[in-house]
Amino acid sequence: MIFIVWIGFTETVRAQFYQTTSASVRFYSSAPVEDIEAISKEGISVINSKNGDISFKVKMRSFRFEKALMQEHFNENYVESEIYPDATFKGKSIGPIDTTFGRTQKVVFKGVFTVHGVSKERELPVIIKMSDDGKIMSLSSEFRVKCEDHDIKIPKILWENIAEVIDVYVNAEYKIISK
Amino acid sequence: MKRLLLILFVAMFASGYAQDVDSIMANLSEQEDYKVQATFKSPRLVLLQTNETQKAKNLAFWVGHRFGDIGGEFGSSHTLYGLDLATDLYLGFDYGITDALTVGAGRSKFNESYSALVKYRLLWQEDKGLPFSVTLFGQSSWITREPFSNNEFKDEGDRINHLIQAIVARKFTPGISLMISPGYLFRPEAQVQDAGDEQNLFALGIGGRFKVLKRVSIITDYTFVNGLSRPDDLETEYHNPFGVGVEIETGGHVFSLNFQNSRYITANNFIPNTTKSWSDGGVRFGFAISRNFNLGPRERDDY
Repeated sequence: MIFIVWIGFTETVRAQFYQTTSASVRFYSSAPVEDIEAISKEGISVINSKNGDISFKVKMRSFRFEKALMQEHFNENYVESEIYPDATFKGKSIGPIDTTFGRTQKVVFKGVFTVHGVSKERELPVIIKMSDDGKIMSLSSEFRVKCEDHDIKIPKILWENIAEVIDVYVNAEYKIISK
Repeated sequence: MKRLLLILFVAMFASGYAQDVDSIMANLSEQEDYKVQATFKSPRLVLLQTNETQKAKNLAFWVGHRFGDIGGEFGSSHTLYGLDLATDLYLGFDYGITDALTVGAGRSKFNESYSALVKYRLLWQEDKGLPFSVTLFGQSSWITREPFSNNEFKDEGDRINHLIQAIVARKFTPGISLMISPGYLFRPEAQVQDAGDEQNLFALGIGGRFKVLKRVSIITDYTFVNGLSRPDDLETEYHNPFGVGVEIETGGHVFSLNFQNSRYITANNFIPNTTKSWSDGGVRFGFAISRNFNLGPRERDDY
């Protein structure tokens, strides 16, 4: 009995949180007239590998565009980043996260994805790869966001410039938090 | 023994719950302070320059037009409320050398004047830091028309004047931006129209943008010239320039439809020479169109 408690105790004490403050989030809009790409390397996120909790946040203002005017329009006219500064995802993995060293696996996170102040229930597929020393958890994900779902309006005259569905790519290296 | 285990379990759970994903997230550091963007949508309000500069490697083509008096002696149906006339027309280019430094050149119909401008963003409002922006503006204007009389311009320097302004602006909310711009105009004696007027003039501009829709704003500005260094007892009746308009933004274009009492477009011309007033039909319709061209990718790290 004591032994079981002891195991439980060490399990709790052993680190189970992974964090990053430099997650890369890239999105891509492909439309007849132009392709638009933006990237942020300032996403922050925490994963609890024990219970599968994940929280992810990226500041809309941290996205950089090739054209400065596009960046301004993105913030001012589309996502209104002064009113809705962040995009967030909060959820839980469906099934356990295997943290065996060197292991690569597919995990689906189910939770609430919020952009432009509008929240949607989403299931986002990710690939998680544990480093050989178990200290780094690499996560990559690819999913699509429909502008309409988040009340991001594209004027009709600009439909040829801006796609209605945006491809999003997330890449992050989480470091283990040791206690 | 059972009780001890229970305490152990509770302690274990408590420690487990003391730290969760949210509490760790809350403690992660992230950049909070960003430069405030788009205090104004355009480098120009109705009459005055705003604190905005061109983005690096962006070229803007700017066309401004001022029609004739809507009412009064020169207006009404005889001139289709001024639309038959063009009191001034300006064509110009502004180029952003960096995000903070813009140079430009243009030509005005009035006095066939060519102007060169430089704009430098000295201070930049931040979300959490500095509460306002400051941009320095300088513009020189060169009159190229034939002299009205033989001795109007004795030498070439008599055709040139210079304006300096410091534009202090603040974006109060996403929808409301205000600015105040003190300035000083240097002009040669030959360009003083009223003999009693000061040669060099102080000017104090105020202006604002009020968003009514996401891409549509009401813009207005007013420039104090009378009541500052200009004498009160002049023969010519000068008025302070005042403009109000609607600004519509559609991607790379900004359109402005406006009304103002000043006949001239560049500040070098309207600060000293505004003789029309809103009250006697001297107000006129005007418009401006700016088109932005991106002349090459910028480096990702320069923002």
